[in-house]
Amino acid sequence: MMPYTYILINFFTVVICFLASFDRRIKFNKLFGTYLLSATVVAIPFIIWDIWFSSMGVWWFDTRYTLGLVIAGLPLEEWLFFYCIPFACVFTYYCLDQFFNLAWANAFNTLIVFTAVIFLSVAGLLYYDRIYTLLTVIVTLVTLCYLHFVARREWIGQATFTYLILMPGFFAVNGILTGSIIQSPVVNYNPADFLGVRMITIPVEDAVYGYSQFLLNIYCFTIAKKYINPEP
Amino acid sequence: MNLLIVLLVFVSMEGATWLIHRYIMHGFLWVLHRDHHDHSNEGSLERNDLFFVIFAAPAIALLYRGVQQNFSNLFFIGLGISLYGMAYFFVHDIFIHQRAKIFTKTKNPYLLAIRRAHKQHHKHLGKEKGECFGFLWVPMTYFKMYFNKK
Ligand SMILES: [Zn+2]
Ligand SMILES: [Zn+2]
Ligand SMILES: [Zn+2]
Repeated sequence: MMPYTYILINFFTVVICFLASFDRRIKFNKLFGTYLLSATVVAIPFIIWDIWFSSMGVWWFDTRYTLGLVIAGLPLEEWLFFYCIPFACVFTYYCLDQFFNLAWANAFNTLIVFTAVIFLSVAGLLYYDRIYTLLTVIVTLVTLCYLHFVARREWIGQATFTYLILMPGFFAVNGILTGSIIQSPVVNYNPADFLGVRMITIPVEDAVYGYSQFLLNIYCFTIAKKYINPEP
Repeated sequence: MNLLIVLLVFVSMEGATWLIHRYIMHGFLWVLHRDHHDHSNEGSLERNDLFFVIFAAPAIALLYRGVQQNFSNLFFIGLGISLYGMAYFFVHDIFIHQRAKIFTKTKNPYLLAIRRAHKQHHKHLGKEKGECFGFLWVPMTYFKMYFNKK
């Protein structure tokens, strides 16, 4: 059973959203191609980051929990992670956006970006010697500032609200990966490279990392959707 | 003591904002502030963005130095500026410019007064002859308009 741990995490993340995609009111199955394209665009830099950090030993994988296929230093399951997790995220965002009017959350855009910029900048300045903390801070800062000031996306608040709704899922998936329910973590972190502040077992950096990955996925998905499936 | 610093900074930030708005944004930086008044919005810079930097930059520097000095007074000054900035964006974006369809029917006299005053500020499309440069505190007349029973 143990070698199937990580692949099952990926599977359970996707399966419900995947089946619900075929619902007549949702019809997300028509957007699978669009999703794959946009997810790939976002996955490329994040996978490069992953390969780099794995090779430096910032984090490493316990291969007892994986099927054993390793590509460029990452287990196959880790590659799938960059498609499975964003799938559940984009799907949730898409559904919430379709069935509810969440525009009210966008009134908080400036407030969210302002608070995040202050918080992240101070954290990055104080802990610039922890590579995972520093890189997460930089990527999130650049993402937020780009979306807000340059691309002027109106949905930052709405997306942030969706990310909060996804938190139970985040805690389940990242919790297991970092060793919450199983005996030892699937993903291990070098204590010298991150703050060491953990939410149960999850490093806080993971939540911020997930946030920027989530925002970029929404950004690319909405662009891809506009060009590939323009609304009638 | 620390709480007092935060409070004091918060209040003086309202004064600083008034001065900056009155003499800088409606002064030599009018080019950046104009589009928020006449809604021409061609450039990528708007007043909010400029205020963003004015609040964020000193706050980050102070918080950073403050933590380094084991949470010295600088940290709490930075905290005061951060909190003022958050209140400013919260009030300005949500209540005044009604970015959200929430609190549209508020009867809170304080909210009605600052919204009314800021609308008055927006009435002037030119650089000169402005009024109501404050944000959380506005001229008494506006409070009287809503606090006094008719
Ligand atoms: Zn003005
Ligand atoms: Zn306006
Ligand atoms: Zn305004």
